Amino acid sequence: MLLELLGVAALLFGLFFCAVGVLGVVRMPDSLTRLHASGKVATLGLFGLLTGAALLMPSVWLRLLALGLFVLLTSPVATHAIAASVHRRREIVGELAESDSPVAPADMTAVDVTAVLSRSRIQDIIEAQERARRHQRPDERRTNDSP
Amino acid sequence: MIDSALAQAAIQLILLGLVSLLIPASYRVIVGPTLPDRLQAVDLITTLLIGIIVMLALVEGTQNFVDMAIALAAFAFIGTISIARYISEGRVF
Repeated sequence: MLLELLGVAALLFGLFFCAVGVLGVVRMPDSLTRLHASGKVATLGLFGLLTGAALLMPSVWLRLLALGLFVLLTSPVATHAIAASVHRRREIVGELAESDSPVAPADMTAVDVTAVLSRSRIQDIIEAQERARRHQRPDERRTNDSP
Repeated sequence: MIDSALAQAAIQLILLGLVSLLIPASYRVIVGPTLPDRLQAVDLITTLLIGIIVMLALVEGTQNFVDMAIALAAFAFIGTISIARYISEGRVF
């Protein structure tokens, strides 16, 4: 009976942190803060659920422990990879914004970065744009700006 | 199977709560302004699915669902890593 009460309490703990994490992912303003919120689901939320399951069904505790250890190992790596991709995307968008080239649109959240493959590829695009601009006469450039 | 009525009711309630949490998470998949946001929301959904499968193992009282949860965790890790690498590098390998 005590085990069941403890298990139900741990399950409720896990559900609470899952709800908090999902709320954070929906409501937080920024990519990295949303990553911070979704990390709570992977650690506290899922571990609460696994602890509750192990207390309610003691025959499978070893498999649940294996699952918990696996998530404990892989979840920070996945979060780190996503954070690195966010950082890389910001680098690319920043370079495009600084380059003052027509590739850079006004709304930076709409940039599709996977179209811009790597740093050398960005450099190629910028140089091609500048070469094209140098070969254009000023009146042509004005007509190209307002199609 | 879990015998007591309290534990059964609690498990059903928590399963319902976890499944309803999938809806706001998929809102972030659809709306999320950039590609890493969507990837992160998909990762969150697979984490919630692991929890749901563990709850299903409690409902059914079998061990097999836990094995399914382990397999889902492994494949979700591989998928997240490769898509994140595709976003940041422009290629997977």
